[in-house]
Amino acid sequence: MFSVILYGRNDSHGYNLHKRAAISFNALAEVMSDPDDEILFVDYNTPDDHPTFPEAIHDTLTDKAKQVMRVLRVRPDQHVRHRLKTHLVALEAQSRNVALRRSNPRNRWILYTNTDMLLVPRNEKESLSDILGAIPDGFYQVPRFEIPEMLWEAAFDRRDPVGNLAKLRDWSVRFHLNQVVHNYMPMKYDALGDFQAALRDDMFAIHGFDEDMILGWHCDSNLAARLALYRGRVDTLVDKLFGYHCDHTRVAAANNKGRATRMNDQDRFIWNVATPYVPAQAETWGWPDVEIEEIRLDRETPYQRYSAGLDKAIEPATMPFVETSLEWQLFDDLTYDLPHTLPFVCDQVVTFPRSTNLMLVATRPDFVSSFAKAWKGMGFTGPLLIPQECEGLPPDLPGVERAPFAEQLASAELFIFEFGLATQTATEPVRAGRQMGPIDKKRLKVAERLFKRAAATEAETRPEGRRVPRRFIGVNVIYNKFWHTFTNYVGANINPFCSQVLAGLPREDESLKGKVLKFRGRHAL
Amino acid sequence: MADIGILRAAIAPVRRLWRRPTAVDIAPKVGDDQDARAHFRDGLAKRRGGDSAGALAAFERALALDSDFADAVMARAEILDGMGRSEEAHGEYERARRLWSEMPPGAADRRYIFRRQGYFAFEAESYDLVRTNVRSKILPQLAHGNACLARGRAAEALDSYERALKVNAKLPEVMALKGEALSALGRYQEAIEIFDGVLATHPKDGDTLNARGIARAALGRLAEANEDWRHQFELLPQTSSAARACVAMRMANYSAAFNEFGLAIAKEPANPYWLLYRLTAARLAGAPAESVTLPADDRWPTLLLAFRTGQATEEALLNRANSPTRHAEARFQMGVLAVDGNPAAARRYWREVVDQGPPALIEFAAASNELARLGA
Repeated sequence: MFSVILYGRNDSHGYNLHKRAAISFNALAEVMSDPDDEILFVDYNTPDDHPTFPEAIHDTLTDKAKQVMRVLRVRPDQHVRHRLKTHLVALEAQSRNVALRRSNPRNRWILYTNTDMLLVPRNEKESLSDILGAIPDGFYQVPRFEIPEMLWEAAFDRRDPVGNLAKLRDWSVRFHLNQVVHNYMPMKYDALGDFQAALRDDMFAIHGFDEDMILGWHCDSNLAARLALYRGRVDTLVDKLFGYHCDHTRVAAANNKGRATRMNDQDRFIWNVATPYVPAQAETWGWPDVEIEEIRLDRETPYQRYSAGLDKAIEPATMPFVETSLEWQLFDDLTYDLPHTLPFVCDQVVTFPRSTNLMLVATRPDFVSSFAKAWKGMGFTGPLLIPQECEGLPPDLPGVERAPFAEQLASAELFIFEFGLATQTATEPVRAGRQMGPIDKKRLKVAERLFKRAAATEAETRPEGRRVPRRFIGVNVIYNKFWHTFTNYVGANINPFCSQVLAGLPREDESLKGKVLKFRGRHAL
Repeated sequence: MADIGILRAAIAPVRRLWRRPTAVDIAPKVGDDQDARAHFRDGLAKRRGGDSAGALAAFERALALDSDFADAVMARAEILDGMGRSEEAHGEYERARRLWSEMPPGAADRRYIFRRQGYFAFEAESYDLVRTNVRSKILPQLAHGNACLARGRAAEALDSYERALKVNAKLPEVMALKGEALSALGRYQEAIEIFDGVLATHPKDGDTLNARGIARAALGRLAEANEDWRHQFELLPQTSSAARACVAMRMANYSAAFNEFGLAIAKEPANPYWLLYRLTAARLAGAPAESVTLPADDRWPTLLLAFRTGQATEEALLNRANSPTRHAEARFQMGVLAVDGNPAAARRYWREVVDQGPPALIEFAAASNELARLGA
């Protein structure tokens, strides 16, 4: 019957976002009763190494919310063409159009709202699907009522949508919450963007949201203006349901700078709108030709993929614990515990697109074979690119492509550089003062050279069309001789030694030292 | 503050006195044919002023004059609901929605403003208020004009569009709407000149091609009209079956219309006109008749269908033909039924459609083409 379209990203948009959103997702799912109903959440521009926002809070969602939610992930590299034109990191019009294009074509209605809304049918026996199924074609709004922050934060249980809706029915009377705020037409009510129900056909006919609106604010009013022109009327569903908004003004959201807020031009996008259509984007709105990843919360979850990958690569531990040390005299000892390290490496990659081409430069053969199993087990379909320069690694691993480093560099979308001892065996003790032999030194020298070159030339060797920097993951680069090497070139956080892994983007260091390092890396000096 | 700003500030109190009163300030005019609308406007003003009881009484006066005035039904429902009489309001909300949805939808090949269902009294009043407050902007004028045009108040619509064009004289969308208003006022040559200008810069503007075709047909320039519609038909995507069907019907391309209306029915089975036109196209294309199940209602298009299928008499049909549009629709169908056995009678019926019917009607264009074929 209807597709709810929401958007956001895995960040901190306003106060206690996680609770607001969980309350809202669960409440929206609760008022759905048609098998075609869906919540489309566009996760816009979350960094590649983060999970999407709904994945990050999945444990607070009800089973029903997880079943009806489709997460459409727009990657930073897909946003990058807009980056210089806007101060915002999440674009509403683009997000909502991406979802509209991919919405269930069997659904008659599209409902635009936000991740802090609860919709309460006035007749407790009716679902929103029932309501939308019974009304004539049109363009509908409902007034938005505010819930004081204290109430939703203190009294709502995120996983109890039925209880939350019942509380709202009570509070609306006890605390006089229901105040209808009328507005100038075509914005029938204030804060209209929290409930606009339009026919899916109408949204396609008018070419979706106006994607020129990239400065934030008024996207909802622009839509109202255009749909009001198209339909002639703006109808109300105030007799059918009330919409409640979890107020979150204790802390201003990122797009709210008071009077200094940058926003889309009201005159252009509201008061001087002259047509329902946006013909300039008739063929392109919602990025029809762009492949958008879809993530479900009720199947193939990141945890399921992660554990499936690791189960293929490592056996369960047989000891209560293993030991290592970061004492200074062990600085040159590059041994590390592979079964312990691999989960931290996989943690760094599991959120990337499954089609990612990953360049793996490594010294330890067992690391390569284990990681290759985990990579495949996690469902990745992209190849592991291992430069021919890396010797002594297992041949003919499935999913591995071997070619000269220079040839593979422009295909790689993600890098792993592993700095271990090629001769380390699975049974020897870790960080016990082991010295490296000639083979270890030879392999490490190659890995270091390739690492420096990849990092120093990253910007100019990106795959065609890619505009965002590629991420570098360093394995066994904490508290040892490769710590400085890695962090000279990669802007990594300080991580605990126990994880063995650092990751980040190539450093943009314009100092003399940075320039020298870049020069040396580029020329393998 | 700039000099002009100082001057404005100084004369602001006087300017306020000179300001044109908003539409809602105007007292209802009793005794003229706009009574219901005037009471409705009065009700809106009272509601905005916080006088719910007065508003309720005004809406009830409007409804006493026109019981199907959906905008007043809805406004009354909202007042009742706000007063706590929600049970009573519930039925009224539903009634307003039903009344709107039962209003005949416009032809699918025309500009968006003619495809909508509604009374648009609330919109006309609301945008009138907006344009007195949000001045020198296009949308309020445009929306006001559209509401008026959709209700047949073309002169007011023209005035609104001209005000919008004072803000930006070059907007093709507003120019085209001005052309529509002129066409609705019967000023076809002026309309055509405007449409020519719009099409010179936007030759693929299908809505304007349709509008120019209507204006040309109204002036008897049928070949040129058909050329516009043919061009529009080519521009319409395959997915727009209803629009393609309507254009094909105007051009009297009945085989195309028959197929496209079939697709349109699959998408909108509840639209009785699509079935009526499909039956008509089949008859005029010489295709075998299909059996149809009539909707169980007494709406006007159902009566047309009943007549077409021999379940209603000519007299019954004409008794309900209480507007020029209905009259033309009825006469056109009479011609369709007569054409095989009595071409002269068909010619007579269709001549009446062309002489007296609104040129924007699909039937007007189809009848014009049929008369041309019959050499009349």
